[in-house]
This record gives sequence, structure tokens and C-alpha cells, in this order.
Amino acid sequence: MDAFLTSRIISDVLEGLTNGVIYGLVALSLVLIWRSTGILNFAQGAMPMFATYIGMVVFAHKLNFWFLAAIAIVAGFAVGGITERVLVRHLYGKPELNPIVVMVGFLIVLEGVAAAIWSTTPRGLPSPFSPIDWHLGGQPFALSPFAVYEIVTALIVMTLVACLFRFTKLGLQLRASAIAPEVSRLLGVRVGRMLTLGWILATGVGTIVAVLVSSNFFTGLTPQVMDGIFAFGFIAAAVGGLDSPVGAIVAGVSMGIILQFVGDFLNSNAIIVTALIILIISLMIRPNGLFAKSTARRV
Amino acid sequence: MRRLTDKRLALTATCLIVGVIIIALSATTVRVGAVLALMLVVGIAGISTVTTKRLRKAHPVLTRAAVTLLVLDASLFATYFFSSITNFNLAIGAAMSIVLLGLSFLTGASGQISLGNSAFMGVGALAVAIWANHHASTPIFVTLIIAIASGAVVGLLLGLPATRLRGPYLAGMTLAFAVAFPSIVNSFSSWTGGDAGLQLPTAVSAPRWLSSIFGSHASLLTLNTVWITDITIVVTGVAFFFMANLFASRTGRAMRLVRDNDVAAELAGVSLPRARVIAFMVSSGYAALGGALWTLINNSVSPPTYSLALSITILSLVVIGGIGTLPGALIGGVIYAYSTNVISWFTAHTGINSQGNLASQLPGIIFGGLLIVTMLFAPMGIVGAARRLWAKRRLRTVA
Repeated sequence: MDAFLTSRIISDVLEGLTNGVIYGLVALSLVLIWRSTGILNFAQGAMPMFATYIGMVVFAHKLNFWFLAAIAIVAGFAVGGITERVLVRHLYGKPELNPIVVMVGFLIVLEGVAAAIWSTTPRGLPSPFSPIDWHLGGQPFALSPFAVYEIVTALIVMTLVACLFRFTKLGLQLRASAIAPEVSRLLGVRVGRMLTLGWILATGVGTIVAVLVSSNFFTGLTPQVMDGIFAFGFIAAAVGGLDSPVGAIVAGVSMGIILQFVGDFLNSNAIIVTALIILIISLMIRPNGLFAKSTARRV
Repeated sequence: MRRLTDKRLALTATCLIVGVIIIALSATTVRVGAVLALMLVVGIAGISTVTTKRLRKAHPVLTRAAVTLLVLDASLFATYFFSSITNFNLAIGAAMSIVLLGLSFLTGASGQISLGNSAFMGVGALAVAIWANHHASTPIFVTLIIAIASGAVVGLLLGLPATRLRGPYLAGMTLAFAVAFPSIVNSFSSWTGGDAGLQLPTAVSAPRWLSSIFGSHASLLTLNTVWITDITIVVTGVAFFFMANLFASRTGRAMRLVRDNDVAAELAGVSLPRARVIAFMVSSGYAALGGALWTLINNSVSPPTYSLALSITILSLVVIGGIGTLPGALIGGVIYAYSTNVISWFTAHTGINSQGNLASQLPGIIFGGLLIVTMLFAPMGIVGAARRLWAKRRLRTVA
């Protein structure tokens, strides 16, 4: 194999990895909400977008990036919590159509309001790291400080979420109220609070994604910045299985890499089409996702 | 009983005579008189069929046909008097109501939801434009059938996994399709013209006899608008008639059972995959028909119109009108036809910055807000709420 092709493949893998962790995180946030409340949150892109606007644009007075990001994430927690309490609470136990429709409506309202307040012009956010690729022996290496920061942030978030669910009492309560709400309630778990917490957590994770994406020099923050990423994130979550956090991340990362190859060797239009084909095929083979345990359905 | 029939006969005869006198006084040429007389006869026949209880019970299909004919009759008559702008809005709204009907059927009859309807509309819209650019002389109804077929075929491809899907997967998948649609269009830009879209080689033009009805003072634009509006209305009528029968048919009943309890449906011998795929194909075929009509009305197709935002507007209109109801789709179409005007009137009169961001975002915010409010407080939409009120009133009068 000649050197050029090798370096092209390496750079595709690395760039795919940077996109893939983003898709994985979005998929993870979808899975968090799905597991705790059984709702596929179609506003899972728009809510973090809104929080990012609140944090990064409203408070953008000479504060440094990390403060702004922290404000955005807190805003994300707030948006998630308020949404659950005000909107979603009325939808538990309703036909599964209702939450989908309401969240789709919420998506379009949030995007509309954001565009009305902050306009649709892309905002360049301060970026903490350079987006210019490192050079290795005179050759560009397809890995920039910003990309490394994205990957590392994503890994930290994933680890934190995993630790929260596995090793803390709170995580146990969260899992318990998702699996058996009645029993948990009898055992003294405040199930309602846990559901709110699930939404807060998921929106927080989503906001980290939104901050990462919109502080990327090449995209910037627009009201629709998360639409495409949400679509990829949903596809990753569906391929991996909406029940499986691990599946979501694995599917997200591998999809990022595969799609980078498609974009490089075919063209950029083929990316989303390939993603759609992957989704269709994987749903035909395993409708509940590749990583899901098959479940019996109660009649 | 005998007395009543006599009364009706007398009433009908009076209507006929009065109508004929009015026509004779107002019609300027024999041709106009003939057209008006035909419309009158159809109208009276329609009304008497619909109001006859015995017929309504024994021949539901005939009744539906009569209702359709009656509404068509009245709407076609009205287009004669409307301004070109009103007619244009009417045509756009009528085509939209076909799309709404498709989604309404999918959701109301099989419990699934699609966010890809804008993309299916785009498929139909492009199919018409591409076909017309290669075979300009094809009659309109043939191109419309081609559009429906292409929409249904794409629907079949996407619907195949839907046979095994439950819950929100189909909604997410169709959302991905809507997001992917612009890229798909761009991938085949030598056919589809990319983002710029396509122009029809020749505009749909009114036949000679229509201009003789309108007289020489009518401009070509007016005539063509009336003609395409009338075509759209007739196609809409046929689509509604077909759907009304489908709703009431064996297939329709089977699909409602699938919606309410898929396990029971399977036990009763309904093939779930078949029911789901058919529902999805009908819905995408209807969406394609609506898009095709839009192309004919606008003389061109602009792919960026068929975005995810349009899909969400379609969903809101279906929900606001009433999921799974025929009048709901019609109401949704009317709302869509006039929403732009009403909203711009609203922004102009309330003095909120009409050139600013808010005005351009208002349709999305209003439709999204209405979607949420309707789903939370009146999940069956306007038609559902009206039916409930009606039922309450009937109960009160009985008690």
C-alpha cells in the first residue's frame, strides 16, 4: 500500500473519530431519556442549542470560554428540568404518538424563538483550541488540538455518565425508577424527581455536544446547527439500540468513521444517504438495535 | 311518507325552475348557460341523494360520491368569482389537504407517524418536472399518476423496515429521510437541477372553451389560474372520495385494528407487515400527488421548499385539524392556504418588527405552539373537539 493511501486512511479514521464521538454523545443523551421515560426526544438537538445560545451569547461579555461553557451547561440543566416538569410530565402514559408530536412541536418552537431572538446568522464562538492540524514531519496529520479536546471531552463525559449509573446511589435510583417505577416508589425512591433528573442529565450531555459543535471554527452557532447532528445521533442510537448506552456510543463512533470514509472516497452528498441506508438495513435485520437484548412484549 | 316525497319533489322542481330562470337571465351565451345548468342539476341531484335517508343507509358509496360531487360543484362554481390570488391560495391549500389526508390516514389508521412527508412531496414534485422536461406533451392526469407511482415506490423502499418497527423508530427514520432529501436531490443534480430546481417547459394553460365562458375581458393569467385551481380541486375531490371509501373498507377496518391493538389484529388474521406497508405507501403516494400539484400550480419546483420544516408544518396541520378524519385534513388545508396571509396581516397590524427576525419565524413558532397545545389539551384536534361538543349537546337534548 502506498504511503499516500495509508495517510489518507489514517486521517479519515482520525477525523471520523472526532465526528463519531459527537454522534455517540447525542445518541447517549437520547438513550438516557428513552431509558428513563420511554420518550424519543425529538427536541434533543434544539434544547441544547437553546441553552448554548443562553450561555454563549447572552453572557458573552469578556468572560472566558470555560465560564461561558459552564453557564451554557447550567442553562442546559435548567432547560431540561423545566421541559420535563412543564411539558413532558403530562405525557406519561399517553399513546406513544403524543410525546413524539409534542416534542416535534417543541423543536420547531425552540428553533423559531432562537432565530427570532438571535437571528439565523452563524455566531462564531470563542474556541479554546486551534482547529489547525498538527504537522508530523512536514505532513499534516488530520488531528488538531481542537479535535483532541473534542475526543477527550467526550470520553470524560461518557466515563462520568457510566460511573454515575454504575457506582453511585443516585445512579441506582435512576436505573431502578426507569426499570420498575412502582417498586422503586414503594422502596422510597422519588420516581418523579428521578425522571426530571434523567432529563436534566440528558440535556446537560446534549449541551456539551452543542458547545463542542458550535465552538468549532468551521460551523459556528446557528438555530439549526443541531438538526443534522441530531439525525446522525438518532441513527446511531437506533442502530445501537435505544436501550443500550454502550450500543449508542459504539454505533456513533463507528458511524462517524464509516461516514468519513464515504465522504472522502465518494462525495459529501453521499454521507447522509449512506447513513439512511445503514439505518434502514440495520432496522430490517434487528428492529430493536444491534446491541439491544430482545425483550418480550406484554400483550 | 308519501306526503313527504311529494313535498321534496315540489321543492326540487321549484329550485330547478328558479335556477333556470336565473341562468336564463344572467347567462350571456348559450355555452355559459349550459355549464351553469349542468352545475345546477348536479347540485340538486347531489343534495337530494345526500338528504334521502334510505339511500344514505343502503348505498354509502353513492352517498360519498354525491357529497364529493356536491362540494366539487360548489367549489368549482366559486372559483369563477374568486380573484386570481384567492384561487392560487385555494389551489395550494387543496393540494396540501391531499398531503394531510395521506398522513392522517397513516397515523389514524395504522398508528404510525411520518416526518418525511415533505420529502415525499418533493419526490412527486420533481417527478412531474423531470417527466415534463422529457415528454412535454403528456396529459396532466398521466403525469400525476406517474408522480403518485414514484412516491409510492419510494414509500415502499423506506417502508420495508417499517413492517417490523414499533414506536418512534419510523418517525425517526422518516425524519432522517427528510434531512437527507436535499443531499439526495443534489446527488442527482443533472436530473433534478440541484437546489435551483426545475422549470416546467410549458405552463398548464386553460383550454379554449374556458375562455369563452369567461368572455374576452379575462386575462390569460386569470384563466390559467382558474383552470389549474379547478384541476386541483377535482383531483382533491377524487383523492378524498377514494380515501373515504378506503377508511370504510375492509382494509381500513383492518388498519384501525392494527392501530388499536396489533396483537389482536394479528390474531384476527390481519397481516401486520402488509397493513403497515400499504398504509405507508398510500401516505407517501398522496404526499407525492400534493407535491406534483404544487409543481403544476407554481410552474416550477424548488427543492429547498421540501424541508424538514414543511414536514413539521404538515404534522401540525394534521394534528390541529384532527388525526384520522377527513374534515380535519380539509380544515388543515384551508388553514395552510390562508396562514401566510393571516400571519402577515397580524404582523402588519400589531406593529411587531415586520422586517425583523420575529416576523419570519412567526409561522414556525405559531404552528409548533399550536401543535403542542392541541396535543396536550385536545388530542383529536378541531374535528375531535367539535364531535365531542356535538355529542354532549345531543345527550343534553335527550335528557
